Amino acid sequence: MKKTQLLGSIGLVTGAVLTLAACGQKTNNNAGAHDAKKFKEATPVKEVKKGGTLSYALEVDTPFTGIFNNELSTTTTDSEVAQFGNESLFSTDDSYKINNKGAATFKLDRKAKTVTIEVKKGVKWSDGKQVTAKDLEYEYEIMANKGSKSQRYTASLQNIVGLTEYHDGKSKTISGIEMPDGENGRKIVIHFKEMKPGMLQSGNGFFLESASPYHQLKNIPFNKLESSDAVRKNPIFFGPYKISKIVRGQSVTWVPNKYYWRGTPKLDKITVSVVNPNSASQAIKSHKFDVAGVINSQWQQVKNTKNVNFIANIPLQYSYMGFKVGKWEDGKNVMNPKAKMNNKSLRQAMAYAMNIDAVEKRYTSGLTFRVPTLIPEQFGDYFDKDITGYTYNLKKANQLLDKAGYKKKGTYRVQPNGKPLTIHLAAMTGSSTQEPIIRNYIQQWKKIGLNVKLTGGRLMESNSFYDKVQNDSKDVDVFMAGWSLSSEPSPNDLYNEKAPFNFTRFVTKKNTQLLDEIDSQKAFNTKYRVDKFHEWQKYMFDQAYVVPTVNAYSIQAINSKITGYSLKPSQGNNGFPLWYKVGYAK
Amino acid sequence: MWKTILRRLLIMIPQLIILSLLVFLLAKMMPGDPFSGSINPNTDPKQIEALRRAAGLYDPWYVQYFRWVGNLFHGDLGTSYIQHVPVTSLIADRANNTFWLSLLTTILTYSIAIPLGITAGRHQDQWQDTGVQIFNYITLATPGFVFYILGLWLFGFTLGWFPISGSVSANASGFWGVLGSRLYHMIFPAILYALIATTGTVQYLRTGIVDNKVEDYVRTARSKGVPENVVFHKHILRNSLLPIAAFLGNTITGLLSGSMIIESVFSYPGMGKLFLDSISQRDYTTLTALILIFGILTLIGNLLSDIIMSIIDPRIRIQ
Repeated sequence: MKKTQLLGSIGLVTGAVLTLAACGQKTNNNAGAHDAKKFKEATPVKEVKKGGTLSYALEVDTPFTGIFNNELSTTTTDSEVAQFGNESLFSTDDSYKINNKGAATFKLDRKAKTVTIEVKKGVKWSDGKQVTAKDLEYEYEIMANKGSKSQRYTASLQNIVGLTEYHDGKSKTISGIEMPDGENGRKIVIHFKEMKPGMLQSGNGFFLESASPYHQLKNIPFNKLESSDAVRKNPIFFGPYKISKIVRGQSVTWVPNKYYWRGTPKLDKITVSVVNPNSASQAIKSHKFDVAGVINSQWQQVKNTKNVNFIANIPLQYSYMGFKVGKWEDGKNVMNPKAKMNNKSLRQAMAYAMNIDAVEKRYTSGLTFRVPTLIPEQFGDYFDKDITGYTYNLKKANQLLDKAGYKKKGTYRVQPNGKPLTIHLAAMTGSSTQEPIIRNYIQQWKKIGLNVKLTGGRLMESNSFYDKVQNDSKDVDVFMAGWSLSSEPSPNDLYNEKAPFNFTRFVTKKNTQLLDEIDSQKAFNTKYRVDKFHEWQKYMFDQAYVVPTVNAYSIQAINSKITGYSLKPSQGNNGFPLWYKVGYAK
Repeated sequence: MWKTILRRLLIMIPQLIILSLLVFLLAKMMPGDPFSGSINPNTDPKQIEALRRAAGLYDPWYVQYFRWVGNLFHGDLGTSYIQHVPVTSLIADRANNTFWLSLLTTILTYSIAIPLGITAGRHQDQWQDTGVQIFNYITLATPGFVFYILGLWLFGFTLGWFPISGSVSANASGFWGVLGSRLYHMIFPAILYALIATTGTVQYLRTGIVDNKVEDYVRTARSKGVPENVVFHKHILRNSLLPIAAFLGNTITGLLSGSMIIESVFSYPGMGKLFLDSISQRDYTTLTALILIFGILTLIGNLLSDIIMSIIDPRIRIQ
């Protein structure tokens, strides 16, 4: 699942902020839970008939790249195009825990520090060849070889024994990946330096969840892979459909893979074509596509469309407000105790002064909602439902500031040391309602006597925004950004001392300790891990270095004749539906 | 004249050097780089740094510039950071799409504009003229993007007569099938574009005819007893076409530069769309190559216009 999250951060972050502008309605503390009932997660169950053509709208404003290899592709759009054939090795339950119902089975041995992956017999590439151990192993070679310039080579994966040596060219093979039954067997054993509790979850990033067809790619040098025909023009997959035609950047036609291990899929043909997101609502209303995503800001225009089922899920993502309290120095986050925003009361007051619920009611149709904690509700037990989050309360905000010594001088308050207080807020451009929403929050903060100004006097284009936020520009005290998450809930990559993505640069002993505990050996005990997750969420809520703001539905419009289409993680594949089951109703 | 052309071509060299330098530096000055969009918790910043270094993004600007120019002389425009294919192949692909769309548009524009201009000029101040003038003011006042989107909404979505995006249907097969599908995808944007691109031509032509009608040589021709039709076509119309010919050079080279607006509205993968995308995605190699090509096209277009003018109007000679 990790692969679908790639590019997530900036791509989706912008998206998240965009939708912030575009969505939301009545919300209480458990907004997500209540609103989730507004939409079904799957099309109604009906008997499926064979045959039919399905057209799928790929809503992007740039042509898709079309790199059909999980280790080489760099965009979420490419994953979306490939979803019909590109199946994950594993299935999961609804909280993304790996089970053995997919194309491969998975066994974790804590003592031996290994993970064993075995492809089921009969799982075949679309050219009829069995998926082998070498196919599983070759995925790692592509990812780690310097020549292929993969962006997937990460610190988490370097936990595999021998991967670094292979990357540096010191060894010709990856010593930590064994093929006990040989290259043509179906089993690989991966040796790790250290076992992590997150390894039980899909999307954990410690091992890969896909395979590459070695027999097709073996003669192509790694540095030629990404531009090779085998990857760009005639890639093969082991999923339900195979590619029959690609028009570069514009459309892909899929036909059934007759060797598919679950059986023959239902549809005769699937065509995926690019459509401009601005035209999405018209595309839905005019029934040009059988499957099309709804742009939340266009919801009012499409919601009454006939012969369409609207289904939705809540993506693993959140928008947040972050307070800059330090700098990135020598490969780690260094907090500055004297930073302007390093005052808990000030941060809490700003959070209490945000009328998020009212804003959503005004600008959105119940599609965006406030989120109370930094762990999305979809993670089930890991989400702490007792946390209320910061609900609008100006009185409390004022009290906090008074108590902390931010005295009022005229309209605005001054710092406890008597110096004037101006807070610089960095925010990204988005849809047309983004600006009024941000201006509204600035008004709210003015009501509690805080002088908040936009960095640069206006909203920033996303490249400039991240340029300033990543480099700890002194023009940024507070920023509004977002994260798209992988399906392993550990917040370690985002908030630990060594995480470059910990943009607020806060580091505390307590936080480090809690994050360590979440990923410790003890945390293989789920109850312990859940407890530590709750503790961490409470701590983060109280400290308010990072205040989660909103999340939004991701809605799709599906032709009402289509059945078998589900967004539930247990029914899905890589974050997409299991296309094997999708077809026209009888 | 050959001497003049040669001199003009030589002047283009320093112009292009300055243009390329400006283009290169401005592209580098934009915040972010092709890798900044890839950064997220699932990528390793160290790996991204290594990739940036391998791509030479940390070299001093002049090193990067001369490497770029050096490759340019080998016909190598680099590899697109975003599409991961050679820029030459990417541009060739898009230029092909744009060329046919622009050609169709140009043909349609002239076949609408010239008859309208002639009608208006010939029947000055009569109802025909008023009609053409009203049409002209409407097209002049309508912003392209509004017109295209309205057209797309009405004929693409509501009536469903035309495709709404792309340059060819996913289902087209066979030579004639693909050709037909491409034409079908082009015809609608071309008509819309042509309809509002007529303004200038109509106006120049009308004014030309109105002005020339009262010229002395026309009166002379009439007094000699030359039939009215011949007077109009041989004497008036020919001279009135001059201002249009003045733009011909740029129209010809413009066939390759495409239109950002129409290509974006129709998600038509042409040069204009490629240019916009390469800016938003920080695809430096594609961006610099495109601006350079657009620059060269403009310079050549001006030169062509001058040559054409000197051929058809003996009064004008390049000195």
